[in-house]
Parts: sequence; C-alpha cells; structure tokens
Amino acid sequence: MRLRDISISYGGGEPVLEGASLEVPAGKFVSLVGPSGSGKSSLLRAAIGLQKPLAGNVEIEFGRAEVGILFQDDALLPWKTARENVALGLTFHGVKREQALREADAALAKMGLQGFENRYPRHISGGQRKRVAIAQVLALKPKLLFMDEPFASLDAIVRARVVQDVVQLVEREGISVLLVTHDLGEAISLSDTIYLLSQGPRAHIIQKYDVPIPRPRSLISARAHPAYGPLYQKLWSDLSLEVTGKVAEAAE
Amino acid sequence: MILDPKRAWIRQWLTLVAVLLVWEAAGRAGMLNPLFAPSPSQIIGALVELFTSGSIWTHLEATFGAALGGLALGILVGVVLGVIAALIPYIAELLQPVMTLLNAIPRVVLAPLFAIWFGIGISSKVALAFILVAVLIFFTVYTGILHVDKRLVERITTLGGGRWALIRYVYLPSVASWVLSNMKVAVGFAFTGAVVGEFVAASRGLGYLLSFAQSTYNSALMLALVMLIMAVVLVIFYLSGRLEKRLMRWN
Ligand SMILES: Nc1ncnc2c1ncn2[C@@H]1O[C@H](COP(=O)(O)OP(=O)(O)O)[C@@H](O)[C@H]1O
Ligand SMILES: [Mg+2]
Repeated sequence: MRLRDISISYGGGEPVLEGASLEVPAGKFVSLVGPSGSGKSSLLRAAIGLQKPLAGNVEIEFGRAEVGILFQDDALLPWKTARENVALGLTFHGVKREQALREADAALAKMGLQGFENRYPRHISGGQRKRVAIAQVLALKPKLLFMDEPFASLDAIVRARVVQDVVQLVEREGISVLLVTHDLGEAISLSDTIYLLSQGPRAHIIQKYDVPIPRPRSLISARAHPAYGPLYQKLWSDLSLEVTGKVAEAAE
Repeated sequence: MILDPKRAWIRQWLTLVAVLLVWEAAGRAGMLNPLFAPSPSQIIGALVELFTSGSIWTHLEATFGAALGGLALGILVGVVLGVIAALIPYIAELLQPVMTLLNAIPRVVLAPLFAIWFGIGISSKVALAFILVAVLIFFTVYTGILHVDKRLVERITTLGGGRWALIRYVYLPSVASWVLSNMKVAVGFAFTGAVVGEFVAASRGLGYLLSFAQSTYNSALMLALVMLIMAVVLVIFYLSGRLEKRLMRWN
C-alpha cells in the first residue's frame, strides 16, 4: 500500500496536508504519529477512500474485501449479539449464515471472548466491546488493516491486553497494518516503521524511523529492548521540536 | 425513621385502605354530599352495576375499537410519513411546519371539528386517536432517522454492507426501537383521543357514558368510569411494557 504526495483540504480552504507520502510494505506494521490536528486521520481516511484527496494518489494492491478498518469509536449494532455482530461482515462477503456464525465464534475465541458470544453489546464491558469490534474485522481475514487510534478509549490495563492480542494475531497472520496513534510507546512496540507527520496546516511526512526490535514481540519484551529508549527519546524530541518550533514561528 | 423501600407497596396499600375507610365512614355519617362526593361503596356499586347489567360491553367495545384502530393507523401513517420525510427533503419541507403546528396545539381541540366532518359514529373517534398518535410517531421516526448513529452506518459500510444492509440492520431496528419506546405514550394518546371524541359527540363508548353521567349528575357513575378507564390503560401499559421488554432485550 502506498500513498503518494497526498494533499487534502476541507471546503477549499488551506490544505491540511500537502504532499504526504508513505508506504506499507507487505506484512509490515507501520505507524503514523504526529501532533494532534496535524491530519493523521484525514490521511488515513484518504487511504481508505472515505476522503477524496485534492491531489496525489493511493495505491492498494488488495481488493475491497481484503481491507479491514478499525476506528476509535467503532460501534457495534446494539440489537445484535456479539456473535451476530461478528458474523454480519462475513455474510456481507457471501459466507453462508451457518458458516459465518461458526467463524464468528472462532474469531471471538481468538480475542478471548469465549462464553460471551450471546451477549448484547450493552451487556459487556468497554474492553470486551472493543475486542468484539476487532474480532469483527479480523474475522474477515484482511490482508491490510487500517486503524485510527483504535485503543484510545480503553483504560491502561485493558488496553495493554487488547494491544497484545492484536499484535500476536497480526504477526501470526502476516497482516499489513497502518496504525494512527498519538502514543509513541505504542507506536514503537508495535511497528516495523514509524512515520512522523509535521504540525499542520500543509502537514507532510518529516521523518521515517525503522524499529530494530526483532519479532515475534510482546509489549513487555519490546519495551525492554535496548533500542526502545533511544528511539522513544528521538521521536519525543523530534515531535516536541515540531510542535514548539511551529509555535515559536507563529509568535514571530 | 428508616423506610425499607422494598416494603413501599405495603405502606401504599395500607394508606389507601385507610383513606378509603375514612372516606366511607364520612359518607355514612352524612358528612359528604353524595351528589359531589359519593362514598367508595357507591362508586363500586356503580361499577358492579355496569358489569352485571352487561351494558358496559358495548361501550368498552366502542372505545377499544376506536383507540386501537386510531393507534394502528397512527403508527402506520406516522412511520411512513416519517420515513418519506427523512428520505426526501422536499417532502420534509412541506410536512415539518404542518406537523410542528399540530404538535404545538392540544390536538383534542379538533374533536368538535372531526364530529362534524366524520359524524358521530366511530370514524370521528378513530380520527382523533389517529391524529394524536400519528404526529407523535412522525416526529419520533423523522428525527430518529436523521439522527441515526453515523458510526453504525460507517461501520456497516466499511464491513462491506450495501444500502440494503444499512436499511435492514441499522435503519429498521432503529425505527422499531424508537417506536417501541414511545409505545406507552402512544397508547395513552389513543385512549385519550377515543374517550374525548366520544365525550364530544357519540352514542356509545366510555366517553359517551361519562358525558351521560355528567348530564344526569351521576358522580358515582363518573368516578366508576374514571376508575375503569385507568384500569384499562394500566392493563395496556403493562402489556406494551412486556412487549417492549421482550423485543428490546438488548437494551
Ligand atoms: N470533516 C472535516 N471538515 C473540516 N475540517 C476537518 C474535518 N476533519 C478534519 N478537519 C480538520 O483537519 C485537520 C486535521 O484533522 P485530523 O485529520 O482529524 O487530525 P488528527 O487525526 O491528526 O488529529 C484539523 O485541523 C481538523 O480541524
Ligand atoms: Mg485523529
């Protein structure tokens, strides 16, 4: 998946993004970080096709059915059980209902939700709902996964467990991922490559970092790796420079 | 004093019985004018009389027929107009001011007009119950569809669902749940419409009996009818509550 020189403007105003390019090689986990409001979500929406870019192009080697999408505030149908919610996406792709329900149970089990198949979304916790939403997407066996701060609404402990489950699944299935996050630690421990977006408007990619931590990883082992600390510091100072630099510039 | 909330019903019933006993005693002692305040035993007597003479059934039938007919028609038309208005902005432009006006006035003032238009038979009562319910349901459905959870729509779309999937899995269940959660109000409106319609001009129905009792200064019959109407509406509330609970298990 490749984004080339993407520019986006809302309502014909000054472009939010200008000439942003990035690449997600097959089977790699790529993160996009940047100051809030810089246009990370806009870029992701352009990649998905939910937002038409002013200029630039999107190349995706996969069919529509092979792309999975997970947003922060993804909602489940409240009137369908966890199992039915997961099965729904499968039936949209032509899987027979019986088969879809079986695969849904398997996907829920992979996310540690055995015994919750027949619960309605309002009758489970926020962390469990998030897992159902992830199972819903992973059940479709996507080759490419777009995620926009999917874990942001979870509290720290639940979040660590859900992220761990996702990283294992992604590694096992060899899924290519583009993750938007503002959590630098999460970006480093999950990714093979991290792109840093500049402060908008006219935001563009200012840095690309390779993460030299071997796979398979766990969140703990990634954080304990000697490369983690220096990379975190580098990202942190580049990001701070970007934010404070722009503030200083604006003050002149 | 600490009150056990679980025992509230005992206290409520005991108090009610006490009030009724005092009321009854005051009546028997000649302290109340039976023309204004008949004693509980007289009211119950009037109620029993209605049923033992069998005269009540034709009236109950008339009121139920008008209320349920108006309810069904009102829901049907309210849903259809609400959906059409939500889908076609031009229709919404036309319907919204009319509905807003109808919503702003106490619609029962239309009763005399309907009696002239539709006669003193059941149609004018069905029409009144209908207009009360239809406006309520129209707004429920129209605003409901416009405010349908955008995240659900986006979710179904990104999972690969088309227009039909959106209607079937998002819009239909949303509409159904809004209508169901307004069911109690709608039932109350339907009975109000039927009874008020009968009160204004009719030859049958609980509302007609009320107006008859009023013209003959029969307070015992009037209060008996009020109790009967309350009982009927409570039973229907209970039934629609059961239905709602059953269909909205997910909530
Ligand atoms: N639908 C929209 N209409 C107008 N402006 C928008 C819209 N979505 C985002 N923006 C603007 O574009 C900029 C980037 O937003 P966004 O892509 O959400 O940033 P991020 O995800 O990095 O926080 C912000 O200034 C935001 O106000
Ligand atoms: Mg965002």
